[in-house]
Amino acid sequence: MILTGAEIKREHASGRIRIEPFNVKNVQPNSYDFHLGDTVLTYKDVELDVHKENETEETLIPKDGLLLTPNKIYLASSREVIGSDHYAPTFGSKSGAARTGIFSHLSCGLVDIGSHGRLTLQLHVVQPVKIYPGMRIAQVIFWKPQGEITLYDGKYQGAEGPQASRIHRDFL
Amino acid sequence: MILTGTEIAREREAGKLHIEPYEPQNTNPVSHNYRLGPVLRTHSSQVIDSTGPQPLEDFVIPPEGLVLRPGRIYLGTTVEEIGGSDYVTTLIGRSSIGRLGLFVQYAADLGNLGTAHQWTLELKVIQPLRVYPHMKLGQVCFWKPVGEHLSYTGFFGQHSVANTAPPHTSPRTGNRT
Repeated sequence: MILTGAEIKREHASGRIRIEPFNVKNVQPNSYDFHLGDTVLTYKDVELDVHKENETEETLIPKDGLLLTPNKIYLASSREVIGSDHYAPTFGSKSGAARTGIFSHLSCGLVDIGSHGRLTLQLHVVQPVKIYPGMRIAQVIFWKPQGEITLYDGKYQGAEGPQASRIHRDFL
Repeated sequence: MILTGTEIAREREAGKLHIEPYEPQNTNPVSHNYRLGPVLRTHSSQVIDSTGPQPLEDFVIPPEGLVLRPGRIYLGTTVEEIGGSDYVTTLIGRSSIGRLGLFVQYAADLGNLGTAHQWTLELKVIQPLRVYPHMKLGQVCFWKPVGEHLSYTGFFGQHSVANTAPPHTSPRTGNRT
């Protein structure tokens, strides 16, 4: 079951959903709108390798915008800290962003129960698009789980900003 | 409702959902990780006819990995057979993989009730990316449905080899795939 906006508001107030900062004007009928943080990460190499730690560089998104191009993956983050020990969040682009060709993830909009932090967005654009810090970019949805909950205790816990892939750690 | 990892393990044990082979360490808080099988297929024609024959070429990902290139679609297969009759399966990537610019199943992630098979994966990269056989590629979630179940009569649910739609079930004829 998917939570309505009224329920997201109620569960946020009761502490069972974490969204910081929280503003009631971002509550939608069955989701909550969140905003783009101030930085993006890109990989230094063109060719990436699942088994290696692929080095990244951080860029501040200027107030007058950063132009994204289709040939690169950009990692950004939500401005809000988001998480829940009681519901499974998923997220996706706002339709306004999607209509300009912005993907906010490439097939993994699922957040584990018990994961708390700034969500890392996997930004990809179909055509060149300018993005701005603090823009309303995506929305988070909360789903009621069935069964006993085991909380997330993984490698991306407590993210403060965009996090590069740490998949190479799987192979150490 | 989405099943927690504990519930996925319990319902699999009870025969209500199917994941074979099953490795308990691949279960997450609300999903189960699947692995990439070693065989990939690509379209061999320059221009793909969405309603005509779609010849494919097979190749095997060697142990030292294979670099996927942008601009084409790769069809892969899960190592695991996944599905069941009591819960609806959705199949997505892992965030660790998305963060490297790999799209997995980006436009068709919904399974059908009543099927269990190795899933065909639709893969596409933004930047060149070296992948490896049997790596943990993505995750499946299970959702509790509402209502009585109809039996599945489609094409893909019977197939465990990476496949495209047969010409007679094309979007133009409107038959179910």
